[in-house]
Amino acid sequence: MDFLDIRWDMWGVIWNYRELFIRGIGITVSLTLISYVLGLVLGLFVGMGKLSKKKWLYYPSKYYVDFFRGTPLLVQILLIHTAVIPGIFGQSLGYFTSGVIALSLNSAAYNAEIIRAGIQSIEKGQMEAARSLGMTTVIAMKNIILPQAFRRMVPPLGNELIALLKDSSLLMVIAANDILFAGKVVAGATLRFWEPYIMVAILYLCLTFVLGKLISYVEKRFSNSYIPMQRRNVFSLRRS
Amino acid sequence: MKKTGRFLLLGVLLVSLSVVLFGCGTKDSGSSTDVGEGENEGVRKLIVGTDATYAPMESMDEKGNIVGIDIDIVNAIAEAAGFEIEFKNIGWEPLFPAVDNSEVHFAVSSITITEERQKSYDFTDPYFSANQLILVPEDSSVESFAELKDKRVAVQINTTGHIVTKGLLGDTSSKIVAAETMPLAISEMINGNADAAVGDNAVIIDYKANNPKVQVKTIEDASFEKEYYGLMVKKGNTEVLELLNKGIQIIKDNGKLKEITGFDLE
Repeated sequence: MDFLDIRWDMWGVIWNYRELFIRGIGITVSLTLISYVLGLVLGLFVGMGKLSKKKWLYYPSKYYVDFFRGTPLLVQILLIHTAVIPGIFGQSLGYFTSGVIALSLNSAAYNAEIIRAGIQSIEKGQMEAARSLGMTTVIAMKNIILPQAFRRMVPPLGNELIALLKDSSLLMVIAANDILFAGKVVAGATLRFWEPYIMVAILYLCLTFVLGKLISYVEKRFSNSYIPMQRRNVFSLRRS
Repeated sequence: MKKTGRFLLLGVLLVSLSVVLFGCGTKDSGSSTDVGEGENEGVRKLIVGTDATYAPMESMDEKGNIVGIDIDIVNAIAEAAGFEIEFKNIGWEPLFPAVDNSEVHFAVSSITITEERQKSYDFTDPYFSANQLILVPEDSSVESFAELKDKRVAVQINTTGHIVTKGLLGDTSSKIVAAETMPLAISEMINGNADAAVGDNAVIIDYKANNPKVQVKTIEDASFEKEYYGLMVKKGNTEVLELLNKGIQIIKDNGKLKEITGFDLE
């Protein structure tokens, strides 16, 4: 294993930089969580917009998704941080603001598609039944369609959370002091690359592991009471 | 049926296009990739690694050629010492492992000779002297480096500018804005995210010359130590080191180095 050139005393060096790594974890986690919540809210609106029959709602939503899903996140980050925000506010608002904006806008595009697909996966009959019981479309959506659709959205939305955490590392180009930044500083100061980047990988792995656990907990919570309608009725339907 | 046919045609087109492109690509680079010994017919060919994002020292022109002051100097050295060279754009961080793995014979990239770096690599005699320069908005009241103590300072990550700023503000200070490249660091300052940018004089002067409309001024500070750039070789590779040192000595003596950089190297 000649290529695996790890110097064990380097872990001590990394320990000296622990303050940077700890701050990096804090920044990576807070960036991810804030962007995720914002992306979820915005994604819900955009996703509904894509389902709308009104053209003025449908087309902006469609182009929004096309743009943010069709261009690289790295380009969006650079565009927002170095051009859009200074253009609007006259000055930069710091990497954190730019980071949250870029990540949540990008994430919203993916969430919108997840939400749209989730809602469309609910059988048409559900809405028709609710409507014939006298519910308005909005109430039927809120009480009948969304609760069912949400169960199906949980796994892909969980994926999106983990992807977002990893994508936040791209913010290093605008000097975000996240986990990758801490690793890069150690690598630059010591000219050693194995240990600092292994450390970075381990930290991201720990975070995604915790998030993965969280997601599967949420998934279980939502699926406990859920028995698919078709499966429950399959025998009674056949017998009748 | 008709639809399937159209998709099939599209697929065939795409595949053949990529085959053609890939074929051309490998033909172009195939001859140059074997670094190995690099010796043919007496004239030795050395592969040089660089990070071509550091104008005016090394950058890429419109045609993708690597150009700059460093590149001119290496060309002059090669001519003087009698060897051929080929430049490879590798990037700053991968440059160090590339030298270690003998992927390149030596590296030129405005690499400052520091004690820390000398522990892992060998450096030639200095061929360029540089010092740090502070760039601030024109209406800034800052007059010296020490005044940046409680300000936000933009630097390029892991460069000397980053190191001296860490010395002033502390190793883990969150007031250091460490951007990926020097142009990004300067734009942080211009966008108001930092009060000053610190970097190599050549780069900052070049930026000012290329952006006359931007309202900035430079500040020199005597507290910055002079730094020297060297060509970097793998630790213990005395053969290439001596060859390069011979070339540097020749272009120093015959005035070629001064012709390129515009100043004498003491």
